[in-house]
Amino acid sequence: MSLNRRLLLSATFVLFVFLGLTGLVLDRAFYHSAEQGVRERLQGQVYSMLAAADFNESKKQIQVAEPLPDPKLSTPQSGLYAIIYSAPEQLIWKSKSSVGQALPRYSTATMADWHYEQLTGNAGRAFSSVSFAVVWEDNNQKRYQYNFQVLEDRQQFERQVSQFRNELWGWLIGVTLILLMTQGFILRWSLTPLREVAMDLIKVKAGDMQRLDKNYPQEISGLTEGINTFIDSERAQRDRYRNTLADLAHSLKTPLAVLKTGINLDAVNQEDVDDLQDQVDRMKQIVDYQLQKASASGRVTMGVTTPLLSNVKRIVSSLNKVHANEGINCQVKIDASLFFPGEEGDLLEVVGNLLENAYKWAKVNINVSANQKKINNKNVLQLYVEDDGNGVPEEKRQLVLQRGKRADETVSGHGIGLSVVQEIVSVYGGDFDITDSDLLGGARMIVTIPVV
Amino acid sequence: MRILVIEDEPALLLQLEKGIGDAGFVVETAADGEDGLFQGQEYPYDLAVVDLGLPKMSGIEVIQQWRKEGKDFPILILTARGRWQEKVEGLEAGADDYMVKPFSLEELLARVRALLRRSTGWSQSLLSCGPVELDLTAQTVQVEGSRVEMTAFEYRILEFLMLHTGEVISKVDLTEHIYHQDFDRDSNVIEVLVGRLRKKIDPQNKHKPIETLRGRGYRFALARSAS
Repeated sequence: MSLNRRLLLSATFVLFVFLGLTGLVLDRAFYHSAEQGVRERLQGQVYSMLAAADFNESKKQIQVAEPLPDPKLSTPQSGLYAIIYSAPEQLIWKSKSSVGQALPRYSTATMADWHYEQLTGNAGRAFSSVSFAVVWEDNNQKRYQYNFQVLEDRQQFERQVSQFRNELWGWLIGVTLILLMTQGFILRWSLTPLREVAMDLIKVKAGDMQRLDKNYPQEISGLTEGINTFIDSERAQRDRYRNTLADLAHSLKTPLAVLKTGINLDAVNQEDVDDLQDQVDRMKQIVDYQLQKASASGRVTMGVTTPLLSNVKRIVSSLNKVHANEGINCQVKIDASLFFPGEEGDLLEVVGNLLENAYKWAKVNINVSANQKKINNKNVLQLYVEDDGNGVPEEKRQLVLQRGKRADETVSGHGIGLSVVQEIVSVYGGDFDITDSDLLGGARMIVTIPVV
Repeated sequence: MRILVIEDEPALLLQLEKGIGDAGFVVETAADGEDGLFQGQEYPYDLAVVDLGLPKMSGIEVIQQWRKEGKDFPILILTARGRWQEKVEGLEAGADDYMVKPFSLEELLARVRALLRRSTGWSQSLLSCGPVELDLTAQTVQVEGSRVEMTAFEYRILEFLMLHTGEVISKVDLTEHIYHQDFDRDSNVIEVLVGRLRKKIDPQNKHKPIETLRGRGYRFALARSAS
């Protein structure tokens, strides 16, 4: 799971739990305070009823003075109803609003104690009800108990609550969405440096950048510095190996050169000279081979690429200069967009050796071409060098590719060239093949190198 | 033919001086880039052999500097590493051919002769002008099919004149390309040698191969034969 998704998911979860609980608490609180409001309002109605009621001495009965203080009590089916019972449970009076209504009776009414409850009437109609008992004494000190009940249809209450709920949850969802969006944006923004590092690493791999050199945030600078150190040390180590081997080979080469040029001048016995010459040649080949091998840097370097066409042209114009007057015609057909996935030195080495060989064997024509394609689902760069020489016989092909061997001992400087190509190409994880050229009739050298 | 060799390894330099000198060339040497550059700038050379790894100034820089100044003698580079990168850089700087160390003297001489030939417009090592034929590789001369024996200096003069067929070569030029720097230029040895040469290759004074242009120098007057 990506960092972005992890953060987004966990933050979303926390947000939903938090806002959900907040909503629940607010909902409960509102419900209770609304209920409390209803109760207090109904109690107020009872008080105003008490104020409007008076005990009639002659009838030994209480009477309610009309009109009632709250006009809703006088309006039929207004939703607010008042009823007075005498104990035990005999209807004494009810408000005009309750005409034709079947209203549920309270469960209990006590003196000096408000009784608030919810009652269900006919057809499931719900009411809030407050009941309260009052005792009057007549002149003979006889006590009469009356139970007051005020009811309110809960429809309105429910409407109010549900309206509040709609509003509350609507807002909460709105806020959630805004917060989620903000959070997504913040995440994107905060993770940008990481994404940048990833992109830069790809660039380093592709060779468009040498190191991670931008100003990265403090938190990841440790990581990028680590990567840089790794890149640097890897490069330094490669250079060190290469230099050590090169130095070693060079130090051998000068005495060899002295020996080789000296043999002809000073030796007397021809047989000895030949032996010496052979040994020196062998040593030279070994040194050449090791030196070339050492300098093949290969894929160990992270992400270096080299333009193909321009470097092939450099070799061609160099060889044209060396082989001037030989009438060799070298055609280069390479797309300028192609890149060799490695160091310039290696490319020059591969192309130089292939073309030097071709210039040696070609009668007139050489053809260099390249393309990039998919083989076994992998991107590869293929380079072809063809000539119109005699080609390489089947049985000699393997020999040519072997280390330090030469197929034709008589052609000077021809010994290690193709095996160097083979060596470099294998360091890059590629293949080197020799076939016949359909186009020119001579040899066709094919170098296949995987491209990242 | 006057050749400059720049090489910092004393043993190899000595061998090259001896080997190339024995092959009939005038050889001057330099052991570092700065000295080599100076010599190439100051004296007329027909060819330079330049090692790429030189103290004080790299072979590549020396070549670039010469070419920038319009020196157009052919240059053969010697490289120890044999990396194509180095060869290409050398050739791009203005060199004409390369050799990877260690090399055999024969191969070096063959390359040197080929370069000299190419730089004077000859495509083969057999220079043929009318009845006169000069083999650069064997260093032999034939007139109308029969071999003419000559001394090393006579051969050098003829070789130089024939390579530059049709061009007027002053006595000073000839002296500089045939003799070492410390040669006494006021002597009339060139005239003597040219006189002997004429008698050898044209005893009947029939073809008149070498013209004298009064106050200007000599010219090999026979046209190149179509090969």
